[in-house]
Amino acid sequence: MGIVLKDILKSYNGRPVLKDLTLEVNTGEFHVLLGPSGSGKTTILSIIAGLVRQDKGDVLIGDRNVSGLPPEKRGIGFVFQDYALFPHLTVFDNMAYGLRVKKVEKNKISQRLGYYLGRVGIEREKDKFPHQLSGGQKQRVALIRALVTEPKVLLMDEPMSNLDALSKETIADELKSIQQETGMTTIYVTHNQDEAVLLGDRVSVLNHGAIEQIESPDELFYHPKTEFVARFVGAKNILKASVIEIKEHEAVVLVDHEGLNQPFKLQVKKYPIFEKGKGINLCIHPEKISLNRENEAGGNNVNRVMGKIIHKTNNGKAVKVTINTGGMELHAVIPKDIFDFEIHENVWVSFAADAPHPLCGKTCRAPYARRRCLNEMRNERL
Amino acid sequence: MKGVSFDLAMSLMAGVFVSLIMLPMIALFSATSVGELVNQFRSTAVLSAVVISLETSLIVVLLALCLGIPVAYLLAMKEFRGKEILDTLVDLPVSMPPLVAGLALLILLGQNSIVGSTLSNYGISLIFSKKGIIIAQLFVSIPFLIKSTRVAFESINKNVTSASLTLGASKFYTFKNVLLPLAKNGICAGMVMTWARALGEFGATSMVAGCIPFRTETMTVAIYQDVMSGELTSSIAIALLLTVFSFTLLLTFKSRFKRQILL
Repeated sequence: MGIVLKDILKSYNGRPVLKDLTLEVNTGEFHVLLGPSGSGKTTILSIIAGLVRQDKGDVLIGDRNVSGLPPEKRGIGFVFQDYALFPHLTVFDNMAYGLRVKKVEKNKISQRLGYYLGRVGIEREKDKFPHQLSGGQKQRVALIRALVTEPKVLLMDEPMSNLDALSKETIADELKSIQQETGMTTIYVTHNQDEAVLLGDRVSVLNHGAIEQIESPDELFYHPKTEFVARFVGAKNILKASVIEIKEHEAVVLVDHEGLNQPFKLQVKKYPIFEKGKGINLCIHPEKISLNRENEAGGNNVNRVMGKIIHKTNNGKAVKVTINTGGMELHAVIPKDIFDFEIHENVWVSFAADAPHPLCGKTCRAPYARRRCLNEMRNERL
Repeated sequence: MKGVSFDLAMSLMAGVFVSLIMLPMIALFSATSVGELVNQFRSTAVLSAVVISLETSLIVVLLALCLGIPVAYLLAMKEFRGKEILDTLVDLPVSMPPLVAGLALLILLGQNSIVGSTLSNYGISLIFSKKGIIIAQLFVSIPFLIKSTRVAFESINKNVTSASLTLGASKFYTFKNVLLPLAKNGICAGMVMTWARALGEFGATSMVAGCIPFRTETMTVAIYQDVMSGELTSSIAIALLLTVFSFTLLLTFKSRFKRQILL
């Protein structure tokens, strides 16, 4: 069953937390709500669950408007950030709780739980109490407790934020495969972009109670449409520029970023919002930047800027590099095995014409019918 | 060196405290003999006072559970208008001198008040009866149960309650199967304190129920009466019984509570 939020408004003590928020989650979709602390993610889940009442707007699960229903009547499963296991009950009793509420027969409870206990490998822990479990085991119990009642939708509030990296990876795999098996519509809240990429069919980025962008993870990470989204997903290279020439498939822009000693030209892919003389913000994902030595060619990349490496950090598989290009800082992520530069070394920073894209706030890679580029909208009006 | 002096000073103060509690106990225990105690406990007046005290205080604990748990639940889990007033009302009997509480109850339940005269018309007389003792004991002791239960409810993770609701449980099912079991220790602590307070209640009880031997004379009232009439041995016997009872009650509860925390 799909979930629809219509014009949801919620304030706490006069401070708006959600501002006329509208969201549609498709049946069977794994939808991730991504955003920083205080952006309203948990409030959205609580409103869907009925744990918090919205000031305005409607919540639909399937075709049913559940806005006036209490949590127990909404048919949802909820996995809490702190697991919220019943501390006085054993693992088995925790997982059986929802089934007992529904007065399911004892042998059916055992049968159903037996399957899930085996599925996530915690049969031996079934008689233990929550305080005797590891974080990963608690997480599995909380997940199964929510799943066994076969809810219409599953809501998860940062369920992996307290886990170590290894447990996270394992549980994410289990979670994704269980969700795909059951086809349960899932909304997953996180502030971690890696989790969003790993799990989400679509990702909504929240900022101050409003959705900035809804997109598939790949689109979101490589083509963020607002400065906030770009910065939040790690695409820190945002260049202020103006369009100086528009060709058939490409355009030439003049980068005149604050602090830049000498403005320079870039050849970029043409976008519908481009207008000659118009100021734009261009975003370049750090992974789309290549570095070459002074005497090396830049491959097929049409854009080249000279810079000096001023900072580098190694995060295991890749090296994050900061390059000063005449007063403006650019960030690149280079695979570790091909990175052999030193700090303070002069390098060519190069990237293809389709690497930069405008932060117009609208999606332009969606199917034509859903394109909402400003330029097109203007044309429609005309 | 400074740390050692500090600890020593603290220990000395603790020693003074222990003396303050222990010396009167020792004085009480050394003021009589085993033979004398046995004799006193054969006296029907003493036994009657013990039975009345136990009977009324146990009923008070049950009533306190029925009235106190809902009040504690509201104070701990809900936000509503007048919450501060309700909270203050809970504290009032603790800060009010029992004699004042007794006087207020006497005026309310006496024949001259509307409540008293209405009840009297239906043949219910609360003054100078066991019912009066129960009301007086309940008035002064129920705050202990409410406060302890409230703290217990407040210490429960809110998400645990929410989890129960999202699993399809009603509020009542959640209350019965999640909140009450998790607040069990706090409720038990409140029951023990309420029972001990009800057993030891004197001021309000004597005002409302008087001191009628074999009818309204509780252990504490009997102690007072016996001392006033010069019968020190029987008052010592009852006082010792009360002391041993309270000490055993608290010790049993504390050891049980500690075991559960360790679990």
